[in-house]
Amino acid sequence: MADVINVSAGSQALLALSNVAGLSDVSGGSNAMLVPQLTDITVNNSTGVYRFKTLDNTAESAVTTPATNQITTNLIVDETTFFGDGANTINSVVADGLFGASKNKTEIYFSIGFEGADTGDELLTGKGFISGLAPTVNMDAPVWTTPVTIEVSGDLTNAQQA
Amino acid sequence: MAIRDDLITTLTTNLGGHSSFGISSELPYSTSDTPLYLKNLRTVYVDEQQEEVTELFNTLDNNDVLQTETTCTVYLATDAKNQPTDIDTVVANIQLARNGVTAATKSSIVTTELDADIITYNIEFNFITV
Repeated sequence: MADVINVSAGSQALLALSNVAGLSDVSGGSNAMLVPQLTDITVNNSTGVYRFKTLDNTAESAVTTPATNQITTNLIVDETTFFGDGANTINSVVADGLFGASKNKTEIYFSIGFEGADTGDELLTGKGFISGLAPTVNMDAPVWTTPVTIEVSGDLTNAQQA
Repeated sequence: MAIRDDLITTLTTNLGGHSSFGISSELPYSTSDTPLYLKNLRTVYVDEQQEEVTELFNTLDNNDVLQTETTCTVYLATDAKNQPTDIDTVVANIQLARNGVTAATKSSIVTTELDADIITYNIEFNFITV
C-alpha cells in the first residue's frame, strides 16, 4: 500500500494555534491551543498564475505569481476554545478564544499535524489571521458548529515535530 | 429508560380530566396470547422504548457527537361499537404527552387497528436527543 496517512485513530489530524511564534505545538504543550472536534480541515496552497499570449505561439504561456495560502476547517463549537478561558497570560488565543482572536484581528501562528504529534511527524506551519467564523445551529443538529478560516500571511512551511 | 417514565408522568397529567380512562405503568405484556391493553379497555399502556444511536458529527479527534433516536409506542383500546364520546380529546391529549419529554425533535403518529369490536390506537412517539 502506498504511504497513505490514515487519520482514523483520532490523533493524527491536528490544529494548534498561538499568538507567539513557536508556541503552536500540536502536542498541546507550552500553552498551545489544540483545537478540538474538527470535522474537517483543508490546506489551500494556490499558486497564482499570470497567463499571456504571444504572436509566435499557438498556446498561452504562464508565469507564477505569489501563492494564496489558506486553511479552512469546520468544527463543533467548544465553549472554552471559542470564547477563551479569559485567564491564559502566555497565549492570547487561549485567553480570547477563536472569537476573540478573530474580533481582535490577532496575528496567530499555527501548526497543522498531518500524522500526529510524535517526533518526526510531518507538520505545516505558518502565520495568519482567523476569519470566516459563522456559528450555526438548528434543531435537527442542535450543537453549534462553525467554519473557521485562517488567512495565511506568507508561506506555508513544512517541518517535523520535535 | 427516562423517556418512557416522562411519557407516563405526562400522560397521567394529561388524562387526569378523563375519568373513564386510566394509565398503567406496566408494560403491555400478553397473558394467554392477549396483550393487557386488549384485556383492560380504556387503559393506556406504554411499551418499552427502543433506541438507536448514530453519529451526528464525526470529528477528526474521535470526540464524535452522537444522537439518540428513541421510539416509544403507547396503546389504548376501546369498544369500537360504542366509542367513548371524548375519545378524540383523549387521543389528542395522549399525543400532547410528547411535550413532556426534553428532546431536539419530537413527533407522534397515530394508527388504528380494528379487531372484532375493539379498536386499538397505536400512538408511536419519536424523539431525537443529542
